[in-house]
Amino acid sequence: MTDVLVRVDDRLVHGQVVVGWGRALGLRHIVLVDDAIRASPWEQDLYRMGVPSAVQIEFASVADAATAFPRWAADAAHTILLLGSVETLARLCAVAPVRRVNLGGIHQQPGRREHLPYVFLTEAEADRLRALDRAGVAISAQDVPTRRAVPIEELLA
Amino acid sequence: MGRPPVSAFVRTGLRLLTVQACWNYERMIGVGLGYASEPLLRALPGGRAGEPYAAAMRRATQYFNAHPYLTGLAAGALARAEHAEVPGEQVERLRDTLLGPLGAVGDRLVWAGTLPAASAVGLALSASAPAGVGVAALLTLYNVPHVALRVWGLRAGWRSGAALARALGTPLLRAALRIIGPLATVCVGLALPAVAGRLAGTLELAAWVAAAAGAAAAWVVGRWLAPSLGVVRLGLLAAVVVWLGTAW
Amino acid sequence: MSAEVFIALLLWGIIAGLDLVSVLQSMVGRPLVAATVAGALAGDPANGVLIGMALELFALEFLPVGGARYPDYGPASVAAAAAAVGMPLGQLGVPLVLGLVLAYGGDWSLVGLRRWNTWRVRRAARGLDAGDLHTISRIQLGGILWDALRSLALTGAGLGLAWAARTAPPLDDRRGLLLTAVLIGIGLANAAQNALRLADPRRAGWWLALGLAGGTAWVVLR
Repeated sequence: MTDVLVRVDDRLVHGQVVVGWGRALGLRHIVLVDDAIRASPWEQDLYRMGVPSAVQIEFASVADAATAFPRWAADAAHTILLLGSVETLARLCAVAPVRRVNLGGIHQQPGRREHLPYVFLTEAEADRLRALDRAGVAISAQDVPTRRAVPIEELLA
Repeated sequence: MGRPPVSAFVRTGLRLLTVQACWNYERMIGVGLGYASEPLLRALPGGRAGEPYAAAMRRATQYFNAHPYLTGLAAGALARAEHAEVPGEQVERLRDTLLGPLGAVGDRLVWAGTLPAASAVGLALSASAPAGVGVAALLTLYNVPHVALRVWGLRAGWRSGAALARALGTPLLRAALRIIGPLATVCVGLALPAVAGRLAGTLELAAWVAAAAGAAAAWVVGRWLAPSLGVVRLGLLAAVVVWLGTAW
Repeated sequence: MSAEVFIALLLWGIIAGLDLVSVLQSMVGRPLVAATVAGALAGDPANGVLIGMALELFALEFLPVGGARYPDYGPASVAAAAAAVGMPLGQLGVPLVLGLVLAYGGDWSLVGLRRWNTWRVRRAARGLDAGDLHTISRIQLGGILWDALRSLALTGAGLGLAWAARTAPPLDDRRGLLLTAVLIGIGLANAAQNALRLADPRRAGWWLALGLAGGTAWVVLR
C-alpha cells in the first residue's frame, strides 16, 4: 500500500502543489495541517480558491490529524498533506504514522542556511529531520514532480 | 482612510509589469512587490516623510511570491490594509496568506490554461494560414485576458483589502477556472493533426516511421521511464543517439 | 548575414529573453512568436514559422509554476530560426537541436541569474529592510539590466553556433532528415502528453480525443 505523502512547504497551497503535483498524482484530496489556519475562516476561504473544484480541501489541526490520519491514508495515492514548517512536521510525526515526507519549499529566514535553492534550514530544523530519518521516515526534497528528488542524506551532507 | 490618486494606481500598474525583474531565491519577488507598491504608499498620512510610509516600506520588500499577473491583487490589498491602519503583524499575516492562493489560481488560469490554449490556436493557424496569422492569434488570445487580469487584479485588490477571497471568488473567475483546463486540452488536440501535417506532410514515408518511433519513445519515457527527464533533455538525447547510431 | 540583420536578431533575442520572466511576460518569447519574427528578420519567414512550430511543441511542456526552473526558449528560437534560413524542411533537425541546446543553457543561465540576484539582495539587505526607496529601485531595475545581459549573451552565443552549423553542417542530408523526423515526433508526443495534464485526469483523455477528432476532421475537410 502507498504511504500518504506529507509535504512541507511554507506557501502551502500554490501552483507547484495544485498544478505540478496535482496533475502528476491525480490529486483528489488536499489536507492542510496547520493550527492557525484551522482557526481562521478568512484564511481558509483564500486557500479554497486555490484548489480546483474536483479536489477536496480539508483543514486540520495537528490534534485533528492524530485521529483522521488513518482515513487520509486509506486513499493515500490521491491525497497530500500540506504542512507549513518542520516544526509542524515533527509534531505530526509524534501523533501519526508518517512514512513519506517531501520537502517542497522552506524559504530563507534569519538563522537558516541554504541546502537547495528552495530549501533553507536552521540547525535545529536539520537535526529534527535527521531524527525523523533515523526513525524510519523517508524524507526527500523535490519542488515539482519533473525535477529530481534529493534524498535527505544528500540534502544535509 | 485616504485614497491614493489615480496616477499612483497607474504607476503601480506599470511597475507591476516588471515585478519579477529581481527574482531571487531569498525574497523571490518581494523586492518587486515593494517597488511596485511604493506609489500607493506615498499617500499614507505624512507622505514620504511620515512614519506610516516608513513602516509600510520596511514590510514591503520581504519574501513574497505569487503569479505575476495576480500580484496586483496583493499590492492593492496590502496597500489598502496599510491605509486602513491595520496593525503591522496583521499586514504581514495577510501577505503570508496571499502567497500560496494567488500562485495557485494564477498558475491554473494562465500557465496551465490560457497559455497552452492560445499557443495551440497559434500553432493550428500557423500550420494552415499565411505566416504571421498564428503569431497574431497567439498574442491576442493570450494578452487580452492577461492585461484584463492585471487591471482587474490591482483594482479588486484595493477594493477588497483583506476580504480578497470574495474578489477571487467572482463567478466569472470561477467559471474561467472550471473551463480553461479542458478547453486547453481540446485546443491542443485540435491543433496537433494540422501541425503534424504541416511539419511532416511533405516528408517521405521513412521519415514518418522515424517520427512515429520518436513519438512512441517520448511517450514511454515521459510517462513511465523518466518523467523527470524533461522534453528538452530527451530531445538532446535523441539527437546524440541519431548522431552516434548513424555514425557507423 | 549582414551586420544590420545580426544586430536586429540580437535585439530581438534580448526582448524575447526579457519577456520570459523580467518584463511584461506577454509571450513574445514563445518559440512560435520569437522564431517567426526572427525568420522574417533573417529573410526566411517560412522557415521561421516551421522552427517556431516545432519548438512550440516542445515548449508546451513548460509550466513555470511557483518559481520552479524551466528552459528559456526565446533567444533559443531566435538562433534556431537564424540557423534554418534557406534550408529544406527535412533538414531543420540541426537548427532544432541548436534551439534545444540553447533552451537548456537558458535554463541554467536563469538559475545563475537568480543566484546572482540572491547575492545582490543579500548585500543590499540593510537598505531593503529599512525600506529605502533608492536601494529598492536600484536592486529591482538592476535585475532588468542583468537579465538583458543574460539574454544578449545567450542570443550572441546562439547566433555564433548557428553560423558554425551553417558553415560546417554536422550531418549529411540522410541523417539530417532522420533527426528532423525524430524530433518532430518527440515534440508532437510531448504536446499531447502535456495536454492530458491540463484537465481533470479522469476526463482529460476524452477531451484530448475530442480535440484530435475535430482537428483530424478539419485537416481532411480542408
